[in-house]
Amino acid sequence: MSIESSSAASTSAALPSSAVPGVTRFHWPELAGPIAVVVAVTYVVSSLGASSSFLVQGTLVTLVMVLALQVFIGNSGVLSFGQAAFAMVGGFASGLATAPVKIKENVLSDLWEPLKVLSMGVWPSLLLAVIVGMIVAFITGLFLMRLNGLAAGIATFALLMVADNIFFNWKKIGPGPQVLPQVPKFQFVDEALALAIIALVVVYFMGISRRGRLLRATREDGLAARALGTSVWRLRVLFFTVSGGVAALSGAMYSHHAGAVSARDFYLGFTFTTLAMLVIGGVASVWGAVVGTLVVAAIGEVLLRLEQGVEIGNVLIYLPNGARGVVIAAALVVMLIWRQRGLTGGREFSLPRFRR
Amino acid sequence: MIQTILDALSFGGLYGLAALGIGLVFGVMRLVNFAHGELIAIGAYLLVITVPSLGLPAGIVIAVVGTALLALLMELGVFKRLRSAGPAVLLVASFGVSVLLQRLYEVIFGALPLSAQVAPWMNGVIDIGGTTVTRGSIVTIILALVLLGGMWFFIDRTTLGLQIRAASSDFQTARLLGVRSNRVIGAAFVFSGILAAAVAFVAVTQRGSVDPLFGVNITILALVGTVIGGLGSLQGAALGGFLVGSTISLLNAFLGNYRVYTYTWLFILVIIVLLVRPGGIVSSKAAKERV
Repeated sequence: MSIESSSAASTSAALPSSAVPGVTRFHWPELAGPIAVVVAVTYVVSSLGASSSFLVQGTLVTLVMVLALQVFIGNSGVLSFGQAAFAMVGGFASGLATAPVKIKENVLSDLWEPLKVLSMGVWPSLLLAVIVGMIVAFITGLFLMRLNGLAAGIATFALLMVADNIFFNWKKIGPGPQVLPQVPKFQFVDEALALAIIALVVVYFMGISRRGRLLRATREDGLAARALGTSVWRLRVLFFTVSGGVAALSGAMYSHHAGAVSARDFYLGFTFTTLAMLVIGGVASVWGAVVGTLVVAAIGEVLLRLEQGVEIGNVLIYLPNGARGVVIAAALVVMLIWRQRGLTGGREFSLPRFRR
Repeated sequence: MIQTILDALSFGGLYGLAALGIGLVFGVMRLVNFAHGELIAIGAYLLVITVPSLGLPAGIVIAVVGTALLALLMELGVFKRLRSAGPAVLLVASFGVSVLLQRLYEVIFGALPLSAQVAPWMNGVIDIGGTTVTRGSIVTIILALVLLGGMWFFIDRTTLGLQIRAASSDFQTARLLGVRSNRVIGAAFVFSGILAAAVAFVAVTQRGSVDPLFGVNITILALVGTVIGGLGSLQGAALGGFLVGSTISLLNAFLGNYRVYTYTWLFILVIIVLLVRPGGIVSSKAAKERV
């Protein structure tokens, strides 16, 4: 963040921000547009059958995670690898609170007694997950948000490693290396859809709030914002906490989507996929998070079908196994070279203009 | 006891080499290269595939050349096109390259581990003053010392090394003074590839097999070492890597039954070091925030 190089080739660790400084006032299409797109995609795809419905539900879970990354990384410009740790916390909190007591007694014999008898419905467990996630994010954020740039990136990465190591080995607070089975599943796709819309609204209003604008000011020029009396640390802790809550919601939704949860569900692969979605869509906007998630999920699904083989007329077209991972990773790299600000360029949704 | 100390030294040397490879590239272009692990993995693949049929010397030559070529290809294909990007974009891009190469290895070599005895005598033991120690740890320490000495000579005594140091401390000024940026960055990548091949040799003799995720663990830890050692300082990178490697080895030795929590303690220590010295243990002038 040296002043002498604040030109185009900035040496600050901030992700490329939008050419448009960001949203300052509430424009209803910016919120209604993404919601309409998500609702339409959800109902159109889930009407195709049970497997498509499951796929859409999984995409909504991922969307909530990408939104969690967006609200912190997009507004603060600080790269964080740690949000998957909060998803892990949320997934375990919600999973352990709802899995049948008998299952927990039989499968997880080392579990701490209060966690064994804990039993609640799916909706209260989601709230519990969000609260626990926010508490953990707040406490860790108090320390981690003192750091800037790459040091912050590596420190949040260290947080992910610590969380993975603890959850993978400590059988008193979770299933350890095992899978926690029999978590009650969502009945309908509408439940995940409603939660995703709530996350969208929260993340959008956090972004246009006074504090959201201040945080973006620190992203654009940390020194100037500090000179005007802004506490960068407080703002970052606030947004890190909110992001932790949304990430925990995503983790909790994951446990009710898959019907099971384990520590390695939220590790490097998960971190990579969600971060790639955000960067491909455009870090600086909520619309970017939505576009990135839907595009990457769609490409992934098409490639998966192609790997299994698709018959067009009499010709069977199929891709070699493993091509999916290669193409998605290559898409991320090409996207970064081609459009460093992502598909949306960091802009929010806007209606096409018909009048001049 | 002697074995514990030697293990700590050899682990430290191994991670020091990996961290120096990452630090070289970071110095000249502010790229935290996640894909360094895939350079280590290709080195290990080349060793495992070529050594049984062609013998060890030829295998080592092929591995070093192949790894250096892949490093250069990475720079020309991806990072050269991202010169104007900030460090965070570069970081995400290298994350992408890393996953891309892992998936490619999975397609080319298969997801299952390939195994071969690359240098079985490394696993033997020798007698030093009544205590037996593994040959591998001695060889690793010697190899690390030789390579670190060689790198020191190259960085400190040659023109290209001088240019790399100049570019590390202030890239723009170095360019103004006539340092050819693309050549310097290319050289940094090639040398980081050679160091990756050395790391691959040691790691593959220890483990005896290689899979697509072979380099991930070493790289994560070496990366952390580069950052806590001091961003933009080559001595700092090697020192940081050494500290991380030897800390892991010592934690493993002293935690006993709780050694599964080695990483928890290690990464808590990392966060503490970063909080106390955000610029790293050996913080260079160039990495500091100027007001």
